[in-house]
Amino acid sequence: MAAVAGAAIVGAVLFVGLREAAEEDRALTQWGEPDLTGVWQGEALGAASGGDTFNLQTLEGLYTPDARARMKQMSAKDDPTLQCVPPAFPRAAMLGHRLQIIQRPGFALVFTEAYPTVRIIPTSGRPHTAEQFLFPSHLGDSTARWEGDTLVVDVTSFNGEGWLASGQDKPTSASAGVWLTSPAMHVVERWRRIDADTLEYQATVEDAETLTSAWQTPVVTLKRQSIDRIEEALCRPEDGPETYLARLGS
Amino acid sequence: VSARKLAVMAVLALGASAALAQVSEITPPASGSREERVGSLLPPGVESAAEATDRVTNYTPDPAKYPVPRTSWDGKPDFSGVYWPGVNITPAPVPLESLYKPEAREYREGGGGARGLIDWRSIDSPAYHCWPPSPANGSMALSLQLVSAPGFLLMLNEGGGTFRIIPIVGEGDRRPDQSRRPSFMGSSVGHWEGDTLVVEVTNFNGRPWLGGARPPAQPPQTSSSALRIVERWSRPDGQTFEYQAVVEDPEMLTARWTGPVHRRGMLPYDMIQEALCVPDPELYARHREFAAAAAAARGRGGVRGRGGAR
Repeated sequence: MAAVAGAAIVGAVLFVGLREAAEEDRALTQWGEPDLTGVWQGEALGAASGGDTFNLQTLEGLYTPDARARMKQMSAKDDPTLQCVPPAFPRAAMLGHRLQIIQRPGFALVFTEAYPTVRIIPTSGRPHTAEQFLFPSHLGDSTARWEGDTLVVDVTSFNGEGWLASGQDKPTSASAGVWLTSPAMHVVERWRRIDADTLEYQATVEDAETLTSAWQTPVVTLKRQSIDRIEEALCRPEDGPETYLARLGS
Repeated sequence: VSARKLAVMAVLALGASAALAQVSEITPPASGSREERVGSLLPPGVESAAEATDRVTNYTPDPAKYPVPRTSWDGKPDFSGVYWPGVNITPAPVPLESLYKPEAREYREGGGGARGLIDWRSIDSPAYHCWPPSPANGSMALSLQLVSAPGFLLMLNEGGGTFRIIPIVGEGDRRPDQSRRPSFMGSSVGHWEGDTLVVEVTNFNGRPWLGGARPPAQPPQTSSSALRIVERWSRPDGQTFEYQAVVEDPEMLTARWTGPVHRRGMLPYDMIQEALCVPDPELYARHREFAAAAAAARGRGGVRGRGGAR
């Protein structure tokens, strides 16, 4: 009896062990990195329809008096995405649209479906692009390293044209719906797969010219989608964001 | 960064330096093509587009000296790299224009799937509206990055920032995914035939032009949603890749068209730069006014012209 129970326990331990090993295999690429490959999608976040699911009230409180004065001169109509200028991360992570990650040794690529872009992220820990080759850009210059199972991406060299949230995001009754950035913006992102079908994303944003201290986004949960790639999507300003975004992800 | 960018940077730097009186002023040559004129402004040691084109055209691939890199996961050729410029090393057996159906003429005159959006007799073109480049040349821009990854070949364009995600499947599984929305760059599916990646592309949206217009005689080389392209991607050596497309469009063309053998040289960079194309409605509005005025002028000129001929 004891022997049977013992065998059952050994069997159960073996079974659990094997299952964990199988999960472990799926969690790593063939060259031994955590495997973030897949098409992922989260909920739409922000403060557009009451509530604040992206920590935007905190962000609003961090703007410097100078930035506030400039933001007072602007309105939601100035949101660059209305002209199809693609939003950088972390804003791209709050849209609720699909993104795709593909890895190869030394690089991770992040494709976004809404406002289609690709980010080429070196994962070898190499330094940022050398200054003589560096142009300020909408999506910034990324470089990354693995901290355990988390991909930590450091992003600099933004052009200061992007906004951190949408013109519709108004966390308080006094909000103008204007979310400026500057070329001094520095973003640190953390990407981590917590199980086979779930990816977590979190970012910290510093911007010495517009923010008095660092702003942290909440953890964004992205779920694996059962398609092998995102769709082609061309943004046309004449469609307007509602029409354009409504066409996606269907 | 591309050599083209470097060249532009050099030209810009020269302009700034001239303002600081650190170098003597330059008088750009008045004759020659635009490329030749820009090339003559480059500092010594910076290759011009014309020089790079000649170099890649006259290059003989040498796989012994520059072995084709292979991936660690399937041992197939690794296409990863940044490529510029592109040249046609073997011309198409027949010009694409010779295969257009006469009855497609009217549709083409109207701009095809770009009807109402593009005035092809003026400066207008698909690129002007930030549409991806012609699928008859792989939707490739002037400079691009290829990335091989497990199960995928990725093509990332520098100009315009468009991209193709090409899944690579086994021989028995190579039907393009028709559940996707029809699109400018189509739905691709690739499989290996030896060391050549053969990619079938279908599910186009009928809007791309296969080739540009040459006003006034040649209207846009439009396509239909029946467009089907079979591409062959290969790496003759570690410095180049080659591409050839076979294009079918039974609604536009009388026969299958085999495109030129296209070659790209590799640059010593590991990534392209962001160079997005952002549509500008105000610019379009101004351009429509300009085009309407030009069309009105053409109309008057045409009447006078016919009168003169009589």
